[in-house]
Amino acid sequence: MSGARAVEYRLARRIGGRGFSPHQFHEALRGVALGGDHVFAVGDSALKVFDTEGNLRGKWATAFPGECVAVDGESRLWVGERQQVEIFHPTNGLVDTWRDPERLGRVTAIGFGKGDLFLADATARCIRRYDAQRRFLNDIGDRHRKGGFDIPNGVVDFAVDGEGFVHVANPGMHRVERYSAEGALLGHFGRFDGRDPSGFGGCCNPTNLTVDSRGRVIVSEKAAPRVKVYDPAGELLTVVADAAFDAGARNMDLAVDSMGRIYVVDTATLQICVFSPAAPEVTA
Amino acid sequence: MSPEHSRREVLGHAARGAALAGLGGLTGLLWLKANATYAWSIDATRCIDSKLGAVGVSVCERCSTECVLGLSAVRAVNQFTKCGRCYVCPAYFKITSAVGPDGLPSEKVCPRDAIKREPIGWIDRDDPANNFYEYTIDEKLCNGCGRCVLECKEPAGLGSIVLEVRHNACLDCNRCAIAQACPEDAFERLPPANP
Repeated sequence: MSGARAVEYRLARRIGGRGFSPHQFHEALRGVALGGDHVFAVGDSALKVFDTEGNLRGKWATAFPGECVAVDGESRLWVGERQQVEIFHPTNGLVDTWRDPERLGRVTAIGFGKGDLFLADATARCIRRYDAQRRFLNDIGDRHRKGGFDIPNGVVDFAVDGEGFVHVANPGMHRVERYSAEGALLGHFGRFDGRDPSGFGGCCNPTNLTVDSRGRVIVSEKAAPRVKVYDPAGELLTVVADAAFDAGARNMDLAVDSMGRIYVVDTATLQICVFSPAAPEVTA
Repeated sequence: MSPEHSRREVLGHAARGAALAGLGGLTGLLWLKANATYAWSIDATRCIDSKLGAVGVSVCERCSTECVLGLSAVRAVNQFTKCGRCYVCPAYFKITSAVGPDGLPSEKVCPRDAIKREPIGWIDRDDPANNFYEYTIDEKLCNGCGRCVLECKEPAGLGSIVLEVRHNACLDCNRCAIAQACPEDAFERLPPANP
């Protein structure tokens, strides 16, 4: 690990779970996002809103099972689905459904940066970039020699940092790649290693990632499931958790708030696991 | 009609012919039934090596140790339509072994080295991670131990490798030793349309 201060995390809360109660999910839980004091989760065919204590505050049906959820600058909720995106107002519900039949396959991640909209298309194994008027601008990752990101897990996940750079998990190559919005590969970190936790183990890791306000990259892995934090240069800072998840969990979506709390989707138990830093780290 | 053959004789010949034909058909049916090709088969959804949800279990290996043949009639089969053609395949490499100078795990899963790994398509020699790889199983070497099947199982892999009975090798024993030993009752006898 690098010389940077390693932060310890503890499991603070579990939200949701498998079941048929309104706050639970019975078949699938795939995505999590944060906005204001709320936690947004997509699973089954619903978008559910929780407070930070894990109490259900709202619920809307989605047309198809949601693959991911994101919150834009106007606090609207974007739910990625098969070949479309549904947009919800936090109090009024569904306000728009957007389709781009020529380009959008399965939308597994959504991000915003510098006025642009980014959609991960797991079908084409790339990221589609649109402007604010939803006009297509360019693809990211399509110039890979493998024809796109190498995603045996079937999910493309990315995050846009504060400077507008796009960080993408490329699990088949065991690395995290950083792109400009125009699609130029700027750098990457990561290597295969099944023993050293600073590397990525298994066939294809990391599966998911997010970036916090300090530019740290938080990744999740499968088999065995764990969450790790890397500094912007790609040095491992800490392993957040490796025993909190069901062994069968994979494609664990992530979100991080301004307090440094990390929200992780356990796709096997259908819970959102919330990890708090042992020492609070408030950022602007 | 010839005057030598009466109507009664003709009818008698016809009846005997029909009886012979019926007897032949019955014999054929009995022969088919006696040689009915009910075949031993493995239900991948029950086999502990491939059953989803059974994470962290040990490899079973009974398919390789219990068969009465010297080399078991069971083989591991890679279903290419499901295979991810990964750079680091968990069914090929022992992914927790030390990383070698080539950046890959230094040990393999298969104790008989029955899995072959080849880059496919236009090959990038400078960055091997930039290639897709095809994993083929040499059936002359595979003994159906199931280790690769277990390692390929989701979530570690994509579950593309399963165990199958090779009917050209199977002796089709009435009391199959593997079926007797299978802890999950995954070894079953099915009619020819189903294996």
